[in-house]
Amino acid sequence: MSVWNPDNITDVAESVGIHSLPKDVVDHLARDVEYRIAQVLEEALKFMRKGKRVTLGTQDISHALRLLDVEPLYGYESTRPLRFGEASLGGMERLFYVEDEEVEFEKLVNSALPKVPREMSFTAHWLAVEGVQPSIPQNPMTNADGRSQDQRSQDLIPKTSSSTSDGLSVKPAVKHVLSKELQLYFERICAAILDDTVPNHSDLRNAAYASVRSDTGLSQLVPYFMHFISDKITHSLRSLTVLTHVLQLVAALLDNPFLDLAPYVPSMIPAVLTCLIGRNLGTPADGMAHFALRNLASSILLRLLRKFGNKAKSLRPRAAKSAVKAWLDPSKPFGSHYGAVLALTSIAGTDGVRSLIVPNLDVYDGILREGLADDSRREHAEAVVAAIMKALQTLEEDGSGSHGANGLPDGQALRQKLVDAVGEVIGNRVFETGGSALIAAVLEKDLFA
Amino acid sequence: MAAQPPPPSRTGSVGPASAGGMGTPTAGTPGSQGSGSNQNLNQIVLEYLSKKGYSRTEAMLKRESGSVAFDANGTPLAFADRHKGRRWHEAYNVVKTWVDSILDIYKPELCRILWPLFVHCFIETIADCYPTDGRVFFQECRKAFDDEHSDDLRALSAIQEPEHVQQNDIAQLYRTNKYRLTLSKMGFATLIEFLETKESEGGKSMSFLINIHLDIHTVDRAAIGGARGLQRLMDEKRGDEQAPAEDEGIPGHHPGSANLDVGATGALHRLQLAPMPMEPDLMDDVKAELNHEDSTHPPRAGRSSLADQFEQRIKVEPSDDTAPSRETIPFPPSTARDVAMEVQKVKENRDRFRIEGKTGGVGPGVSVTMFTFHNTFDSVNCIEFSDDNTLAAIGTAESYIRVWSLDNRALTSRQDPPGFQPSSSRRLVGHSGPVYALSFSPSAAVPQPQTNGHTDHTTTPDSQPRYMLSCSADTTIRLWSLDTWTNLVVYRSHNSPVWDVRFCPHGHYFASASADRTARLWSTPQIAPLRIFAGHDSDVETLAWHPNGAYIFTGAGVGDKTVRMWSIAQGTQARIFTGHAGNITAIACAPSGHTVASADDKGVIILWDLRSGRLVKRMRGHGAGGVWSLDWSVESTVLVSGGADNSVRVWDVQPSKETQAKANGENGGPVKLDGTAANGTTVSKVAKAKGRDQATPDMISDFKTKKSPVYKVRFTQMNLVLAGGAYLP
Repeated sequence: MSVWNPDNITDVAESVGIHSLPKDVVDHLARDVEYRIAQVLEEALKFMRKGKRVTLGTQDISHALRLLDVEPLYGYESTRPLRFGEASLGGMERLFYVEDEEVEFEKLVNSALPKVPREMSFTAHWLAVEGVQPSIPQNPMTNADGRSQDQRSQDLIPKTSSSTSDGLSVKPAVKHVLSKELQLYFERICAAILDDTVPNHSDLRNAAYASVRSDTGLSQLVPYFMHFISDKITHSLRSLTVLTHVLQLVAALLDNPFLDLAPYVPSMIPAVLTCLIGRNLGTPADGMAHFALRNLASSILLRLLRKFGNKAKSLRPRAAKSAVKAWLDPSKPFGSHYGAVLALTSIAGTDGVRSLIVPNLDVYDGILREGLADDSRREHAEAVVAAIMKALQTLEEDGSGSHGANGLPDGQALRQKLVDAVGEVIGNRVFETGGSALIAAVLEKDLFA
Repeated sequence: MAAQPPPPSRTGSVGPASAGGMGTPTAGTPGSQGSGSNQNLNQIVLEYLSKKGYSRTEAMLKRESGSVAFDANGTPLAFADRHKGRRWHEAYNVVKTWVDSILDIYKPELCRILWPLFVHCFIETIADCYPTDGRVFFQECRKAFDDEHSDDLRALSAIQEPEHVQQNDIAQLYRTNKYRLTLSKMGFATLIEFLETKESEGGKSMSFLINIHLDIHTVDRAAIGGARGLQRLMDEKRGDEQAPAEDEGIPGHHPGSANLDVGATGALHRLQLAPMPMEPDLMDDVKAELNHEDSTHPPRAGRSSLADQFEQRIKVEPSDDTAPSRETIPFPPSTARDVAMEVQKVKENRDRFRIEGKTGGVGPGVSVTMFTFHNTFDSVNCIEFSDDNTLAAIGTAESYIRVWSLDNRALTSRQDPPGFQPSSSRRLVGHSGPVYALSFSPSAAVPQPQTNGHTDHTTTPDSQPRYMLSCSADTTIRLWSLDTWTNLVVYRSHNSPVWDVRFCPHGHYFASASADRTARLWSTPQIAPLRIFAGHDSDVETLAWHPNGAYIFTGAGVGDKTVRMWSIAQGTQARIFTGHAGNITAIACAPSGHTVASADDKGVIILWDLRSGRLVKRMRGHGAGGVWSLDWSVESTVLVSGGADNSVRVWDVQPSKETQAKANGENGGPVKLDGTAANGTTVSKVAKAKGRDQATPDMISDFKTKKSPVYKVRFTQMNLVLAGGAYLP
């Protein structure tokens, strides 16, 4: 009749050498044990309450035992919930015990130190201003019927929380909650940009771009747009239309004067670079169409760097490095090379062309010749050549080339000099275009070397 | 705690002396072995008695045993003999059925008698050694009391054996004290009449319980009117509001008195509620300082000069309040720091944003700054802000204290080793148990003088708090220096965990509340307590000071649930307030000094008028789980509360119409409850019928936090609310 199993009393009695305990006594003792447990719990609850907690912990029990002048139970103090194991003793009887993990000493000593819990800190915010609760992320969002909106925006919460292997989970301090209107707006914009099924979708899309370009209150959505952009670009490499539309969204975001995109530039650069120097953009059936995409990407990259280049110092070198790497990799298709040359031109300007493209031209010459010889790839190689020529022309426009300072050799001698300097293909092209300024610019390296 | 074997004979276990008086029906010789052996036993005892010459005892035994064996005229014993264990159960059921079906005008008051009867029936059954029957009875009948008496029920549910009755605090409380209850004359008469007609079915047992354990006070409702009036009673009970009346319960008292004796009506202790007068020297210094300040910074147009303000402040209140004298509560002589603080107080008094009372149903706009503590892993026990709003401190379950500078200044110490980089937070280590309360010594915020829009930061070091008190489960109180960030003094005297500690509003003294059921008064230079306030029947869980420093208020937990007011000078209890149904979790006295607010863990906040000692009103709205902190606006017009239900709520403290009338009627004179009562007539009662979960209409606003229980709320001198809580995802 008592919750406490009287058999336990018998067991304990036997363990201290009393074998024949009358039933009455056992029942009585069982009830008494139950009363004592309740008494301890009663005191423990007091400690829980004073600790302003809603869960009773092992610490509370220890404190209660101490208060009742009983020796506390050692070895159970834990801030983690204890794991209870269950064993069946045959029949209906079950035994519960605290699972004690066995830890190998060697392993414990050699394993990495557990992660330090985060430092306790505080933040301040306005809970109410003159009797009105401002709707800021730190305050719970309530709609008309006063219910919290937390659940509804669950699907828009970025996956920032990660639980590490040693069970210490680090959660974002404040959940980012969007108002319903913004969520709806975001969904509509995304749909308008990607949806090609609707007739005259281009109108819709243009309207969406125009809205993103000029709306003032989008700053809360920026992380979601970033996520959307990188997500679409990584998953839709085969579809040039999607890539183009997404890049146009980036452009629209860059156009918006009310957004501060600086914190998001590091996440935008990879996306744009992917569209620029990606190995396989679109399907083979698209033919030369991906060059247009690369052009678009390069123009966006240029704008990005113009806008944020001086704020993030390491941006240019890092982008340039990956572009050079892509360019000089013979295993990559000419599409990537084309993008890389465009990237280098836009990233580093004339200085970049001078110091990064020109010196590497004779190395690249081999790849180019091979490409031009191959019929299937000639078209692509030509595009690269055009890009390189365009890059070289920036040098001419720059005009810093010492204009005919040292009279240049004529005719074949000049051609030979050019070929020596920048390789056969480009050398000949440069010679053929014939601009003396261009030639001077290309040969500048030699002259000053 | 070794368990005792059951008593060998049932006769020995009928109950303690208090339970079974001579000549009461229970004191018989019930037998469990059957009446045959009982007869033999009686014979033996009778022989023994006659041999020893105990003739009266013999006669009594003969009479009683006779009634058992032969007389079947419906005496309780014959009734009890049939099914002893169920006797109390049945008797209780008889009364319960009767109360349930009685006329509506008596129902509300007679309902209240069921709880004490239930407790005693249960205790008697257990004490008679019928654990099974007791348990059945308890489970069957507890439902009705789950709401109001959950704590007591939990404590009682553990009782299974007669010796538990002896040891259980709650059971002992009920057995050794009389439960006080007020009934109307007619109600009581019908009850007695009923019990007499049902004498044989348990009525006798019940009237026995009522005689022994209840203290029923009868009043003539028609004559007395007011709070006890029939109309009012009916109104109150209609909205299924189940709350104990002010004078009901174990420590039931005569409302408006510290005296538990019914007869002591007029003996109201006179209170000295006016602010403590200022030391003459200090006053001169302050005046000089203010005049100087006025001449250097002449007040803007439309603003009074500081000196005028000060004059106003000390001149006002020619009321009938007397002020406590400095002779009875001595303080150390004032210092330059006191002068600076007083000057700042005057400045703040002039410059602050005033919160007027709620008039015409529109609540004043209160601004709340919330400080949320992250990554606490639920180890924070308390949060405290300093008076000058520069420091925040937390006490943790891990026994240390952590202090932060709110404006991110480095917390420096003269004892820092050279090259030490002080950060904006400090850890104070010293306690060996969870820290339950902290208290900063008084300080004043420097209002940043705004000159042409730019603020110059001249936080004079004068105004900062210099000491902090902490109390812990290790039974000690510690005094910490905030100059060196070290422990200065350890105060040992309590012999149980110390739940709360508070500095006197003027510093120097402090009070502590402990699980040893006492509150104690200390002065910082002495390591022994100056006063011990004993009287609570359970842990003293929280305490608060009266703003003039002459009184403290203490609140207790399960089994007592009273708020008591103690005089510092006399060391005696000046007032007792009963009416809470849960553990008292927070108390705050209004700066005006006339009203005190107390909150319990059922989410109810009650306002009490100090002078009359009466309940002003109950305010509901907080969810269960505890209102951890209360504070008043500087003008005493608005009360703010923060609690475990993740909310900060703002309350209108003006008494509602009826209660005001009640207070007037009861005291027979024009009682000015406090300054706000005068214009309190505009308050409209919106909803009459209100459920338990619904907020009362005097809640002005409810600000929810994001998963952060609010541990502390505080009004600054400028009437901004600071709230502190821990984010618990």
